[in-house]
Amino acid sequence: MTSYSKEILRDLAGGQLPWPQTRRIMSAYKDDDRFFKMVAVYQDRVAWKDPILLPVSDHLFICQSGDSRVTRCECSHSFGDYRKNWKLSAAIHVRNTEESLREIYPNSDLPDPQWMEIREFICPQCGTLHEVEAAAPGYPIVHDFEPDLEGFYRDWLGKPLEGT
Amino acid sequence: MLDKPASALRLRERLIESERLMDETGCYDGITELSLRNQDPLKFETLHTKLRAYCVSAREMARRISASPGVREVGEMVVAIYTPEGDAIALSNGIMVHVHTMSRFIKWMIKEGYEENPRIREGDIFANNDAFIGTVQVPDVMDVVPIFYEGTLVGWAGAVCHELEVGGITPGGDVCLAQERFTEGLFVCAEKIGENDEIRRDYVIRCERNLRMPIYWVLDEKAKVASCIDMRESVKQLISEIGLDYWMKVSKEFIEEGRRAQLARTRQLTVPGIYRGHTFYGHVTEGKPGFQPLGDPNWLYNIPIEMEITTDGKITMDFDGTQPWGYHSMNCTPAGMDGGMFVTLTQHMNFEGLVNDGAWMATELKLPHGTWTNPDNEMVATATSWALLLPAYGVFQRLLSRSFIARGFVEEAFVGQVNSPMIEMGGESQYGTPFGMAHFECAAAGSGALAIKDGLDTAYVGWNPESDMGNIEVWEQSMPMVYIGRSIVPNSGGAGKYRGGCSFVSTWLINKTSHLRLHTSEHSSRVFDNGGMCGGYPAPTCQKHRAVRNSDIHELAAKGAPLAHAPGIDPHVSDYQKNIGGDHVVVEGPYITAPHKAGDIFSHSYNGGGGYGDVLERDPIKTAWDVENGFLTREAADQVFGIVLKDDADGYPVADIEATVERRAAVRKQRLANAIPVADWIAAERGRVEKADFAPEVKKMYASAIKLSSRFTKDFNDFWNVDAISIFTPGAKP
Repeated sequence: MTSYSKEILRDLAGGQLPWPQTRRIMSAYKDDDRFFKMVAVYQDRVAWKDPILLPVSDHLFICQSGDSRVTRCECSHSFGDYRKNWKLSAAIHVRNTEESLREIYPNSDLPDPQWMEIREFICPQCGTLHEVEAAAPGYPIVHDFEPDLEGFYRDWLGKPLEGT
Repeated sequence: MLDKPASALRLRERLIESERLMDETGCYDGITELSLRNQDPLKFETLHTKLRAYCVSAREMARRISASPGVREVGEMVVAIYTPEGDAIALSNGIMVHVHTMSRFIKWMIKEGYEENPRIREGDIFANNDAFIGTVQVPDVMDVVPIFYEGTLVGWAGAVCHELEVGGITPGGDVCLAQERFTEGLFVCAEKIGENDEIRRDYVIRCERNLRMPIYWVLDEKAKVASCIDMRESVKQLISEIGLDYWMKVSKEFIEEGRRAQLARTRQLTVPGIYRGHTFYGHVTEGKPGFQPLGDPNWLYNIPIEMEITTDGKITMDFDGTQPWGYHSMNCTPAGMDGGMFVTLTQHMNFEGLVNDGAWMATELKLPHGTWTNPDNEMVATATSWALLLPAYGVFQRLLSRSFIARGFVEEAFVGQVNSPMIEMGGESQYGTPFGMAHFECAAAGSGALAIKDGLDTAYVGWNPESDMGNIEVWEQSMPMVYIGRSIVPNSGGAGKYRGGCSFVSTWLINKTSHLRLHTSEHSSRVFDNGGMCGGYPAPTCQKHRAVRNSDIHELAAKGAPLAHAPGIDPHVSDYQKNIGGDHVVVEGPYITAPHKAGDIFSHSYNGGGGYGDVLERDPIKTAWDVENGFLTREAADQVFGIVLKDDADGYPVADIEATVERRAAVRKQRLANAIPVADWIAAERGRVEKADFAPEVKKMYASAIKLSSRFTKDFNDFWNVDAISIFTPGAKP
């Protein structure tokens, strides 16, 4: 069975593995022990102690925080209950003028700000840009991901979450 | 009528029985146990490998018969072997989108009673390019031949080539001006085009008299038929070795195994749950010549997708909330939507093991009736369905990627495919003859970024995983234009920790012709039709066309004066304007204009992919390399990524790490200062929503989505705490 060390997975997630090695991992049969090893890699990366239950973005994790499960930034900022859209608790910067769009697209033709805006969802504590939405003005903010956390742990990992 | 049916049931009844068994048991054709695989797994795997080899070999042989640079150079072809009921057992590489569309074509003929009339007999050749029967668009012409073994129908061999010219209202394959079916070009609707392994002469005559460049279509027909016969004979030889009964059983077990493998892969690579995303497409034809006033000239389409992965491993994609079909060329049929799903799955999940229709059977598409995904009018045009298909399946790739990241398989996360606008052309060739062609160098756009590295530069499109732009010299043989430039477009990948792959731009001198019609399709210039992920930005929108009529390039060349070979990096004044005299035009696509002639200059940019991750985490050293090699500009490095570059002794950019750290800290601080709580933004924005203070196209988009989708309406109302119906469709009943 394919398996990789935690160190290799850490370097893979960090984009630090040499390309030939990365390519071999991409082409090989997948390692069935990946999930918990990768969670351990992320757990080493964060300074807080809440156990990570699921990575949901580059720097966002669902973790067990006391009796509740919350979406937490790598910096420790909590966006609240993981079942709610974390974006609604973020800070936002909207680019809906040619001037503000030009800051990101300095040498290209631009979209029409009457038709389209860019919404940047930012951690209010550390300033990490967690997600960018390109949407028509007035479009509701999308709730990207509602994981079936309990079904995942129970049916796929065979390790039901406590308290479920 | 079948001479000797495989079973007591006739083919149509057999197909219905197969579907009933699938409904009853949940397994393909009621196969609840893979008995042959269990008996001898090595034989099972070896046989499928042989079938795949037959397909790959037949396709490669056929490409040498084709005259089309699209097929020969770029590989716009796929072949596959099917069961008698029309389910794909094995397939070649290439434009795999059509493996399942051909399946629909075969099933359509069976259900329409082709056994009785026109009958299905050994040596027959059937062709189709009608998307409502089973293809994506008119240029995707498919041929299938039945495989008989000792009088029994034992399967089908099928092949598709993308034609470069289809005889539509505008030249080329992707007919951008088609607003109804009747202007899309030459239709072949599940037609028997040959018997006894020979293409009928009257069919060839019809092609020759209705196409601008029949040599492509006609020789592609011969290439496809040759590949089908090659596969047919190989399958017959195989059956003579393994026996008919074994073949009939194993060919179906292959598909059931493929279905199970897809479910297993979903459980292995993803996390169950609901994933959502969206993209948009802006369609602008106002004031452009040739468009009939059948609807609003400008449209904004929203493409929301909700993907559900259940704990049994099934993936369902739901397009509820998207826009209605329209009088334009970008509608899609369920066959096309299936094809998009299939080719995307083959790239991300179904790339190993027994690749076949089984993977498709483990998924479900929900395509709301009346929308562009499932028109309730079969007269609509689908000539450029890829315009909406590619953005839609780019969303699918991002949704899948979210699940890969959650499961820890970061190396599989991919920001997705993008539109790659095409050039279609026709008129008088450089040889003085009539011609027509689609330029297929578009098949090498930039890809979205990965979660661990930058995207592929000029090397990816969603519809063909073997992306290739073709050689300049070959394209120049086929059109009255010569290249004066083909180069990377700086910043064309979306910004991010890992940037999207960059695209390229070509510049041509129109040569040896007095009449060259140039048109382009799949343009979304007003809105992003791609996206970034995890903090990455979308790639730029489609770029405008820059052309020079009556240029003085020959005079400049004679003097040895510098020319311009690309538009440059000033969005307001191109290098053409700076260096070349003549009548300069800047046109927002689609490009539909008066014919060009020798001495004119034309340029066309393709699209890059979206970025991944926060720009402030991008590697400064890699960025310096990007600037040195033309993938990023210095302005972008500084302004977008917060990276300070300085020059080394030779004038090459190098990263100033210390200054970069300082600058990024300031950018992060400024980022927080510029941002406001989302709750405050929603409160402020609600007033604009209540007043519907939007551009007419935006208002129309909301009105259409609300009319078609109660779920979209409810989500909109819940989010803004408003009554969307009274805002966008006043007077309508709730």
